[in-house]
Amino acid sequence: MKRVGVFICHCGSNIAAAVDCEKVAENAKSFPGVAFSTDYKYMCAEPGQDLIKKAIKEHKLDRIVVASCSPRMHEPTFRRCIESGGLNPYLLEMANIREHCSWVHPDDKERATFKATELVRMAVAKVLKNEPLDKSTIPITKRALVIGGGIAGIQAALDIANAGHIVDVVEKEPSIGGRMAQIDKTFPTLDCSACILTPKMVEVANHPNVNLITYSEIEKVEGYVGNFDVTIRKKARSVDMKACTGCGTCYQKCPSKVPSEFEMEMMDRKAIYTPFPQAIPNKPVIDRENCRYFKTGKCGVCQKVCPTNAVDFTQEDELVTERYGAIVVATGFDLFDESVYGEYGYGKYKDVITGLHFERLINASGPTMGKIKRPSDGKIPKNVVFIKCVGSRDEVKGKAYCSKTCCMYTAKHATLVREKIKDSNVYVFYMDVRTPGKGYDEFYTRTTDQFGAKYIRGRVSKIYEKGDKLIVRGEDTLLGRPVEVEADMVVLATAMVAKSDAAKLAQMIGFSYDQNHFYTEAHPKLAPVETHTAGVYLAGACQGPKDIPDSVAQASAAAVKVCGLLSKEEMPTEPIISAVDEAICAGCGMCVPVCPYKAIDMKVIQERVHGKTISRKVATVNSGLCQGCGACTVACRSAALNLKHFTNEQILAEVDALCL
Amino acid sequence: MSEITKKIQEIAREILEKGEAEIVIGWEKGTFWYLSPPAFIDKPEDTQRLVWDEFCHNNLSKYLLDYKNHEGKVAIFVKGCDSRAFNRLLQDKQVDREKVVLIGIPCTGLKDQDKAKSLGPNGDIPKAQKCMECKYPTPLVYDYLIGGEEALNEVAATKEAPDFSDVKAVEEMTPDERYDFWTKQYDRCLRCYACRNVCPACSCRECIFDQTRIGWIGKANNSSENQFFALTRAMHVAGRCVECGECERACPMDIPIMLLNKKLIKDINELFGKYDAGIDPEGKLPLGHFDKNDPEEFM
Amino acid sequence: MSVKEIPQNWEPKILVFACNWCTYAGADLAGLSRLQYPPNIRILRVPCSGRVNPQFVIRAFQRGVDGVLVAGCHPGDCHYVTGNYFTRRRYLLMQRLLQYVGIDPERFQARWISGSEGPKFQQVVNQITEEIRAMGPNRKLRDAQ
Repeated sequence: MKRVGVFICHCGSNIAAAVDCEKVAENAKSFPGVAFSTDYKYMCAEPGQDLIKKAIKEHKLDRIVVASCSPRMHEPTFRRCIESGGLNPYLLEMANIREHCSWVHPDDKERATFKATELVRMAVAKVLKNEPLDKSTIPITKRALVIGGGIAGIQAALDIANAGHIVDVVEKEPSIGGRMAQIDKTFPTLDCSACILTPKMVEVANHPNVNLITYSEIEKVEGYVGNFDVTIRKKARSVDMKACTGCGTCYQKCPSKVPSEFEMEMMDRKAIYTPFPQAIPNKPVIDRENCRYFKTGKCGVCQKVCPTNAVDFTQEDELVTERYGAIVVATGFDLFDESVYGEYGYGKYKDVITGLHFERLINASGPTMGKIKRPSDGKIPKNVVFIKCVGSRDEVKGKAYCSKTCCMYTAKHATLVREKIKDSNVYVFYMDVRTPGKGYDEFYTRTTDQFGAKYIRGRVSKIYEKGDKLIVRGEDTLLGRPVEVEADMVVLATAMVAKSDAAKLAQMIGFSYDQNHFYTEAHPKLAPVETHTAGVYLAGACQGPKDIPDSVAQASAAAVKVCGLLSKEEMPTEPIISAVDEAICAGCGMCVPVCPYKAIDMKVIQERVHGKTISRKVATVNSGLCQGCGACTVACRSAALNLKHFTNEQILAEVDALCL
Repeated sequence: MSEITKKIQEIAREILEKGEAEIVIGWEKGTFWYLSPPAFIDKPEDTQRLVWDEFCHNNLSKYLLDYKNHEGKVAIFVKGCDSRAFNRLLQDKQVDREKVVLIGIPCTGLKDQDKAKSLGPNGDIPKAQKCMECKYPTPLVYDYLIGGEEALNEVAATKEAPDFSDVKAVEEMTPDERYDFWTKQYDRCLRCYACRNVCPACSCRECIFDQTRIGWIGKANNSSENQFFALTRAMHVAGRCVECGECERACPMDIPIMLLNKKLIKDINELFGKYDAGIDPEGKLPLGHFDKNDPEEFM
Repeated sequence: MSVKEIPQNWEPKILVFACNWCTYAGADLAGLSRLQYPPNIRILRVPCSGRVNPQFVIRAFQRGVDGVLVAGCHPGDCHYVTGNYFTRRRYLLMQRLLQYVGIDPERFQARWISGSEGPKFQQVVNQITEEIRAMGPNRKLRDAQ
């Protein structure tokens, strides 16, 4: 026989002013299962809690209803209270007679009292069907995975490693460094990007806790928080990393030239190459698609010249599977395909380039050794036009969002042009100038006031070639008249977009992404580095356009989350999760796609039927992943799935109690 | 003996003799001339019992559920609607494609069994309602095909469009009229569950209406509980009904069950885009996924 | 008794299935803000609107509830990422089916009410209570008493 104790709280006069608490307590005595019922001024206060604990002992109560404020407020309090009174904390139900009753019905005590009584009756009916629940734990593998070796990935890896945990960094390219390695100078300080990035690259490469896995991609992700089994494809480098000393003889002698991706195809690299001189690891890979040996079977020059016999044409992709406790996704961004803007002539006119091309043009180790020369004829441009919001803030042809970094890097570019070419003129076509950030607006002001960049508010409508000039036509919307600039070079501030394979990776790991394929944080304000998948965190521009300081800050935040997780041997799991009745489950798998956490898998069970052993598939809930939403329970027609603490039976008991 | 019946018997015999399957499920003549119930044949000499006529209503795919634990292969004959049911069961992971041999029969439509009974063998018996609206008269999946591609094309040309005029007629009533209409229908319900037992969309291992532990399914045969059953059954087959009409045919009380199923089919198509159950065994079920741009009426 | 006859002292009884994270919080906010509404609703807390099985709704009508409201987070805001998208599909269909068997559309409603929408909670409850009060007690789908 179950013995329910009912405790009605006055909350001072908060409840008692509108609800006759004594009467509710009296009424509750007649409800089935109620062994004890009383009211008290402040249930949540020490004496109130003692009252409950004492009553549990004196009246041998085995489940408790507290009618007071919202359970969103004090459910944890009363759970702890009855636990210290000797009961399982989940044998508690609360009736919300304050927020949902006294406060909203202050003028009709009779009906408010009636409603409170009914709310208590519902809670009693439910608690009679409550089951004791226990928190369980899942083990944590103390190893983290960082996907992406750009500045965000490097920072996250360093922070995790410095906290004493082992980190693997998987980078798709032959070298870490990412986009920041391509950038020449950084705003607003104009310090050289390589000068601040390369020390970090070296630090992460030499860190005893960090394991760099370059030229590799994620192939498969299984498991859940604390226990992700990740399969990594280590692409064949065709170079034995152990033997190679990085001397560079091979790429000096290689006869196959390929446009360099790193140099935005303004320079060639070889088929055996390192992407840039400071690459880490500074050991080459063979680009098999462009290698003469792999294409024709003849050549092998690199192999012949290698002093350490490191070139190995027979290498194959290798798949390795490793278990990780947490994952940081820091896969970065791509550039918007600006050829969408035919009127700007990108791709048609050689001297219409993107901001990233410009970064290489002004870089001392770039194709022009740092001299600003226009790509078509190598002349030093005099009139340079910058166009902002190319692909950003354009719902029709581009992306609706602001790419956030373009205002500042365009100001930086404008400054650098004016600095390097003394007699130059710089024109910037803009929609708005957005400069929030420390020292940003000051930088922009210097660009216009000190360096004399001319900012023109308006869109460019057309660019066409006239002789060796580019005629840029647009409108100055502030003056309300058309403008025409004879430019030598045009630089487009193209939008940052998600990586083309961003969705694929998100699906593989199992978290969500937005319509632009940027990864979705768990909460835009309060959980900006978490994903909806426990144990998976975001850093950098894969989550949305970001500059370097923001990427680094987010990376460190993600690292803290990882460290918090890895600092524990095991983590407790919430017991309010779904459970499968295998006897009923037909294995139809309808529950699988409705689960937002990929918490349901199918497993094979064996059973005896008519003297024969048969095996069949049933659903199984992963307690590490299930968050207790109950979506699966409704998808299951035969009710083989049920959500603990909110079971079908409990909810129906409430419905029935309401209608007595 | 009709040409098709002959072919059916031949192929069934061949399959059993060659050991391609251990059991062939087809149809045979029943107690009355207007009944052709399922036949379960496991000996080559019994294949002569098999027939194909205008009363081969039973959706044979349903019977595969009885052979889930059978080790060997089972062969079944499939009309258009049986094949849709088979695809549906594949989608529900209730059958193993490798363990079933499908023999397709292009179907030109069956006759209304009840009308046959009242009009007699010489009467002008109309087609069954479901066949008059059949969009998929030819089997969608098969290993063997009776009559070959030629028959397939010929029959495909006879496909009809679904007709929702009966659903619309109910929709046009007032709420009270609708309630009275359905109350009268389901007050007759015996809760015999024949509709469920023949339904290929009902593939649960244990139907909730058979469960005893569950607190929400009333066993009483009264108006309220019958309607609970009616609505729950309808929601459970929503997006899975292959329009074979077996529920309605099996109902001893002539409850227009398809009128509920068709309502859901109509609404699913109107709300979530075109969907015919049992066409794509790999496809997502209408209630098993969502579109962020689904109609928004709950603002 | 005919459907139209309303007994004396009859008060509508309305069941609200409220998701813990949005609508339940919205109702809490209505309380904190002291926004008054008629005491005819009973809130049943569920983790997510996606937890509400259509069978619960029918059961409520069977047991004598005059109206049912299923309420959850706005699409896109679900605490459980996608739960309410399934709610929306399910109840778009269920609502039409209930109407098809003669349930008046006012008797079953669904709404998105966020944790910050205390005033909206009040307004929805006011509206539904008034609609159902005007219609009188629900006799459809009810158990014989």
